[in-house]
Amino acid sequence: MSKRIFRAICIVACIVLVVSVSLTVGVLYTHFENELNYEMKSEAQALAYVMDKNGIDFIEEMPKTDKRITVIASDGTVMYDNSVDDITSIENHLGREEVSEALQYGFGESSRFSTTIAEKTVYYAVRTSEGSILRISDTQYSLFTIIMGTLQPIIVIIIIMIVLAAFCASRASKAIVAPINGIDLEAPENGKIYEELAPLVTKISRQNRTIREQLEEAKQKQEEFLVITENMLEGLILIDTKSNIITCNSAAKRLLNSDVPYDHCCVLILNRSTEFSSCVEKSLAGEHCTEVLENEGRFCRLVADPVKNDGKVVGAVIVILDITETAKREELRREFTANVSHELKTPLTSIAGFAELMKYGMVKPEDIKDFSESIYDEAQRLITLVNDILNLSALDEGGLSDEKESVDLFELSGDILKSLKIPAEKKNITLELQGKNTTVMGSRKVIREMIFNLCDNGIKYNVDGGNVTVNVIDDVDCAKVVVSDSGIGIPKADRQRVFERFYRVDKSHSREIGGTGLGLSIVKHGAVYHNADISLESEPGKGTVITISFPKK
Amino acid sequence: MRVQFDKQLETLNIELIKMGALCEDAISCAATYMLEGGKNLLDKVFQADSAIDRKEREIETICMRLLLQQQPVAKDLRTVSSALKMISDMERIGDQAADIAEIMKYTEEFNVPSKLHIGDMARATIQMVTDSIESFVKKDYNTAIAVIKYDDKVDHLFAKVKKELTDYIAKDPENGELYLDLLMIAKYFERIGDHATNIAGWVCYSITGKHNSSIN
Repeated sequence: MSKRIFRAICIVACIVLVVSVSLTVGVLYTHFENELNYEMKSEAQALAYVMDKNGIDFIEEMPKTDKRITVIASDGTVMYDNSVDDITSIENHLGREEVSEALQYGFGESSRFSTTIAEKTVYYAVRTSEGSILRISDTQYSLFTIIMGTLQPIIVIIIIMIVLAAFCASRASKAIVAPINGIDLEAPENGKIYEELAPLVTKISRQNRTIREQLEEAKQKQEEFLVITENMLEGLILIDTKSNIITCNSAAKRLLNSDVPYDHCCVLILNRSTEFSSCVEKSLAGEHCTEVLENEGRFCRLVADPVKNDGKVVGAVIVILDITETAKREELRREFTANVSHELKTPLTSIAGFAELMKYGMVKPEDIKDFSESIYDEAQRLITLVNDILNLSALDEGGLSDEKESVDLFELSGDILKSLKIPAEKKNITLELQGKNTTVMGSRKVIREMIFNLCDNGIKYNVDGGNVTVNVIDDVDCAKVVVSDSGIGIPKADRQRVFERFYRVDKSHSREIGGTGLGLSIVKHGAVYHNADISLESEPGKGTVITISFPKK
Repeated sequence: MRVQFDKQLETLNIELIKMGALCEDAISCAATYMLEGGKNLLDKVFQADSAIDRKEREIETICMRLLLQQQPVAKDLRTVSSALKMISDMERIGDQAADIAEIMKYTEEFNVPSKLHIGDMARATIQMVTDSIESFVKKDYNTAIAVIKYDDKVDHLFAKVKKELTDYIAKDPENGELYLDLLMIAKYFERIGDHATNIAGWVCYSITGKHNSSIN
């Protein structure tokens, strides 16, 4: 802006300069011309007067001047000329305008242009009393010649003027622009400004306010978005069409076990597996896509969807779900189903086999008793198994009635040990009960099942002549049932897994020992149902100690 | 013009990441097949190898176009030229993974003696390839240097495996052919390790503009 103002002022100054100089020169020129003519006229008259008085000789004796003096007889013959020596060579001057005018009126004047030297010759003629004509002539420079002659100083003056004009213009333009530059755009209404700018300034300040408000709003929205995405358990990635990350929450980084090195980097930096890149590609092509990604032992489900605006894909959203637990549970369930079918099938096959033999009469009558006994045993096994599974699923489903009663652990353990007397005696195992009466709130049926299973295991996996001790301890904040045996123990590697369904430490001898492989699983579920803790200590070959701690509420 | 240039560089980066991921796939499938078996893994290796070859052509075209149309200078030029070198290393990794798969395809009853350190070697090599790609993806100088240093371990393991295999051949000349195949596989792994080192070297070059001859 200051440049424009500067230019405008300069141009105005130059135009004014040129116009005023040329006008002045024109006026001065006319003025000088008149002056010169007047001077010549008076000079000619003076000379004519002198010649009248003193005769032509006086004129001839006059020193030569730069003015040309000619004396012409009344017939036109030149009698004297101070610039020409041989006057005879000069033609008759009667035809000259000024001469004929002078002859006629007493004086005459004329001017002639010489285009070759750009000079004007002015003639002035006066008739003397003798009748001869005295003529003075002088060359007068034309305007152009004058200008050419004074060009140097004029140019110097013009340059000085232009410089001066430029200086003033720059000062002036700066002074004009300074208040505009000085406007505080944040608060333009403060400070003095030009009246003409007032509407603009008002508008700016109004827009400033709107912008501030909108920024505030946007910031708040951004924060809300951040709070939501950062607190999500699911990973969320937003990408643009060039597959650069727009946002990526921390859950996504955690699940993909990677980090974003810089903003708006390519999403493939996070993960470059085939599944992930195909998800990115498909979603950017406008398709919905789901994939399961395995990443260092964790399973993630990727759900990718295109983001469309007016039917055009403008980006994609990728949601990452941690399905490790689900995947593991799925695997456990598959294992459980396989185990159940196997466990159910084994006794049934035996029963069907025995029955088939008997059906075709291939069994001697005296053997029938043995066979029926085997069938009975297997059927019993099946019943126990089905019962266990039912118990377990009841615990699983939480389908137990919520009726909790006070259960005396000591009494209950005594009952259980009594009922286990017969199998214990078979293996010469001593059963022992220690502690004192302690009551907890809980389901009698479930607690009975738990302690029974522990004691039963203690007897089953024991050596001949071993012992099983149940100790009921009334602690400050919990009631403990400690079942210890002198049995075969559990190897360290299996300790984590013994509570799994159908898990057997010694898989090969499970049938001889009996049991369903569900005992400890029932104990664990029962404990979960009662919010109780289970701890297991064991030393292979020496025995196992399992402690259940029921919390006292 | 610059917008177009940036776009092309971005495409180059994405395609290189994809090619790197394919290399990782190829080598890990080959190694998993060797150690654990699984029939369709071999097909995956061959598929990955041909995909890698296609990608190499594709990236080459992108690089050439970049060089011709944009005449990059300084860091951009380093990026493009190191990309050109990197893809040939990646392509070799793909080929060698396919070679390993080829050997195993024609070997009946492929049982790797568990005492052999070839498994460790495979794992170490996969780690190197993964890390070298990772260093490229994240433009991480330190990871690249670590890969270059890790190569010594793979070389060391190769020497160990070689020694073990000579013992096996001496003890069990019946299965001599199998052990020779294993030796070749080990050599391929060792070569793959070298290629991963090269890739890491190019990553260093594209970041710093200097070849790491002191470490190499």
